[in-house]
Amino acid sequence: MARFNRDSEGQVSAPVPVDVERGALVFFSETIGETNPIYVNPGAARAAGYPDVVAPATYAVVLDMAAAHETRRTGGTDILTRIGADMRRLLHGNEAYEYHGPIFAGDRVTLSTRVRGFSDAKGGKLEFAHLETTITHKERGPLVTVRRDLIHRLG
Amino acid sequence: MTHPSTAQVGDRLHEHRFGPITRTTLALYAGASQDHNPIHVDTDFAAKAGLDDVFAHGMLSMAQLGRLVSDWAGQDNLCNLSTRFTAITPVGATVTCTGEVIERSRRDRETMLKIDLKATIDDGTVTLTGSALVRAA
Repeated sequence: MARFNRDSEGQVSAPVPVDVERGALVFFSETIGETNPIYVNPGAARAAGYPDVVAPATYAVVLDMAAAHETRRTGGTDILTRIGADMRRLLHGNEAYEYHGPIFAGDRVTLSTRVRGFSDAKGGKLEFAHLETTITHKERGPLVTVRRDLIHRLG
Repeated sequence: MTHPSTAQVGDRLHEHRFGPITRTTLALYAGASQDHNPIHVDTDFAAKAGLDDVFAHGMLSMAQLGRLVSDWAGQDNLCNLSTRFTAITPVGATVTCTGEVIERSRRDRETMLKIDLKATIDDGTVTLTGSALVRAA
């Protein structure tokens, strides 16, 4: 049975650049049902004082996925492979965002993920991987800190 | 509805509903979120994993909790948002999102509100629990 690769504890991925594309951001906003125009309409966002459409509260997860795809495309090891995740047994346990500043369409951000560690629960029926990703903008600094726990269903 | 500037402990946010979540919703969310985990869209894969059917992305429900809070307090006032995924959300479910102010405090020169969050599906199962910290601007 596949287990998390606990040797990956403490590893930090090299920063991956991701462009926050307007079309992709608006598609996401519409899919989650956003009706506030700051998330879907660039003109309305500018009228509200933003440079372009604003990323919704959970858009950090999309940028994280984009970084993983980009890592694979460029021959690197994405985070799920790094920790040895088995997609058939994988569950999402916790997701937490700490916001330091807004993300807008047109931004180029970089993402770096640290494997904080692993733990066991329910008498070994579950194992947890604890991850932390920082999304940073070159001029505006850290924008979002993401803390995520992934779970393997065992047995 | 209470405005964040005057909200007190015990005040509830307007309930927000999303759904019913169809397979189309999940296909679109898989594309839009770039989360291509087949467990959410591919019934053959789900069967091989020992499940009866695909199930919704937990993050789709967290996005609804994000909408609940940002609609009320404004995205710029959102400082923290966190959730724990306590049960899977099946295809066909409607998610009801609720929030309650559980703490009003001062941080630096600002008034902060802690919001208790919950997502519940049709049969009463709580699928997500969480909290948010917002500036009471």
